[in-house]
Amino acid sequence: MKQLTATIEKILGAFLGLLMAIMVLDVTWQVATRFVLQEPSSYTEELARFLLVWIGLLGAAYAYRKKAHLGLDILSQQLEGKAKRKLDIFISLVCTLFACVIMIYGGAKLMLLTLDLEQMSAALQVKVGYLYSVIPLSGVLIVLFSVDRILYGDPEPDHVEFYE
Amino acid sequence: MDWSVIVLLVTFVVLLVLNVPISIGIGIATFAAMLFTIDFGPAAVTVAQRMAGGINSFALLAIPFFVLSGLLMGRGGIAHRLIEFAKVLIGMLPGGLAFVNIISCTLFGAISGSAVAATSAIGGFMIPTMEKEGYDKNFTAAVTVASSTTGLLIPPSNILIVYSLASGGVSIAALFIAGYLPGILVALSLMAVCAVYAKKHGYPVGKVPTAKELAKKSLDAIPSLFLIVLVIGGIVGGFFTATEASVIAVLYSLLLSVFVYKEVKLPELPEIFVKAVETTAIVMLLIATSTAMSWMLSYENIPQNISATLMGLSDNPFIILLTINLVLLLVGIFMDMTPAVLIFTPIFLPVAMELGMSPLHFGIMMVLNLCIGLCTPPVGAVLFVGCGIAKTSIAKLIKPLMPMYAAMVVVLMLVAYVPAISEFLPTFFGLYEK
Repeated sequence: MKQLTATIEKILGAFLGLLMAIMVLDVTWQVATRFVLQEPSSYTEELARFLLVWIGLLGAAYAYRKKAHLGLDILSQQLEGKAKRKLDIFISLVCTLFACVIMIYGGAKLMLLTLDLEQMSAALQVKVGYLYSVIPLSGVLIVLFSVDRILYGDPEPDHVEFYE
Repeated sequence: MDWSVIVLLVTFVVLLVLNVPISIGIGIATFAAMLFTIDFGPAAVTVAQRMAGGINSFALLAIPFFVLSGLLMGRGGIAHRLIEFAKVLIGMLPGGLAFVNIISCTLFGAISGSAVAATSAIGGFMIPTMEKEGYDKNFTAAVTVASSTTGLLIPPSNILIVYSLASGGVSIAALFIAGYLPGILVALSLMAVCAVYAKKHGYPVGKVPTAKELAKKSLDAIPSLFLIVLVIGGIVGGFFTATEASVIAVLYSLLLSVFVYKEVKLPELPEIFVKAVETTAIVMLLIATSTAMSWMLSYENIPQNISATLMGLSDNPFIILLTINLVLLLVGIFMDMTPAVLIFTPIFLPVAMELGMSPLHFGIMMVLNLCIGLCTPPVGAVLFVGCGIAKTSIAKLIKPLMPMYAAMVVVLMLVAYVPAISEFLPTFFGLYEK
C-alpha cells in the first residue's frame, strides 16, 4: 500500500508538471497566433481551459496527498498523540465521503451521462465526458491517499508558498 | 431561516473547526443543504458539474500563470535587488530602513503576488540588517508582516482575479488598476507609523547615495520592475487580456531568473512547476466547490434573504457598511483570504450594491479588509512566516502591530466610504464605467 501510493504520488506529480508545461506552451502559442498571425487559434483556448480543469481537480488529489489544502488548525494544534490521530482519521474519513459521493458517484454519473448524449466540445470536437472523467479519477486517488493516511498516519502539512 | 440554510451553516462550521480542508467542507455542506430540495443522485451530479464548470474558465488561467511567474521571480534573486534599489531611493530619510522595508515588501509582493513570499524573502534580508542597525526586532518583523500584504492589492494580484470570478465578472483589468491607490495608501500609512516610531527611538539615518550608486542600483532593479510595466502596461494599454499578460509574465520571469540573473537552474524547473500546480489546485478546488455553493445559495434565494435581513437592521447605509466591514474583519481573523472572498462575495455583494456601492469598489474594500486578517492571530499565514523569520513569538509581535492595524483600519474606512479612491484610476484609464 505504502509503495503503491508513493509511486502514484511520483507519477501524478510528474504528469501534473507536464500538463502545466503544456498549458504554458498552449497559451503562449495562442498569444503568438493572435499577435503574429492576426488570427487567434480557437483550439488553444479550449485546450487551455480543459487543461486547467484537469490540473485543478487532479492537482486537488495531489495537494491532498501533500496535506496542502487550507484548513483551520486552531483546534487540531491543541491535540496531541492519540486524540490528534483520532481527529486525523476522522478528517480522512470525511474527505473519503466527499470523494465517494460527489467525485466518484456524482462525477462518474455526470461523465456517463455526457458520454451517452455524445456531447462534443465546440472547438476540439472531443467528447465532453472525457473532460469530466477527471472528477471520478481524482476521487479514486483521494480515497487511496485517505486509506494510506488512515493506515500509516498523516504526513506533515505542506505549506506551499501560497499566493496570499 | 430555512432548514437548508441551518444545515449548510452548521455542517460548514463544524467541519471547519475540525480542520477538514475548507474546500471539501464547503462541498459537503452544500451537498447536505441541497438534499432538502433535490434528490441524492441529481444533487451529487449537480455538485460535480458545477465544480468542473466553475474552473472551466479562460480568465482563471491567469492564476496558475501568475503563481508560476511569482515562484520563478521569488526564487530568482529579485529580493536583494529591490532592497538595494529602495535603499538608494529613501534610505537617507529618518527611520529610512523601515521605509526601505516597506517599499521592498510592497514591490516584492506586487511582483510575486504573494505576501507570504514577500515576508520570507524581504524579511530574511531586512530583519537581521535592521536589527544590526539598532532597530527593535519585533518592530521590524511587524513592519515586514503588515507591509507585505499591500502586494495583494497592487497588481498583478491573484485574489483580485478570484474576486472577479466570485462577483460574476467585474473586469480584471479595472480591478488591477483600482488596487494601486488603496495599496499605496496602506504603504504610506505604515510609513507614517514608522516615522513616528523611528523619531521616538532615534533610529539611525542612512547615507545619501552618490549619483553613481543611484544609477547602478536602479539599473539592477529595472529588469525585475519591468515585469510590472510589461503586465500592467499591456493590460491597461489594451494590448493583452489578463490571461495573455500572465503567460507573458511566465516567459519573462523564466528568461530573467534562468538566463539573466541565473539564480534558478534548469533542473529546478520541474519542481517549481509542480509547486505551482499544488498552489493552483488548492485555489481551484476552493473555487470549484464555492461555485457549487453559490449556485445552491441563489437556487434557494439565500443572498436575497440575508440582504433583506441586513437592510432591515438599520436604514443607515453608513451603519450597514460598517457592519459588513466588522463581520469581514472577524472572518479575516479566522479564515484565509481566498475562501473568505469566495464565500462572502455572493452573500455581501448584493447588500453592498443595494447600498449603491459598485462591485469594483466593494471588491477592493473586501480585499483590503481581509489583508488585515492576514496579519492577525490565530489564522494569519503572513504573521506566522514573519515570526518564523524573525525567530520571535506572535505575542511579542502584537504590541508593535497595534498601531499598524490602526493605520490599516483608517485606510480601510477611507476606502470604504470614499468610492473615488478605488474608482478614480480605472475610470481615468477608461477601463471602468459606473
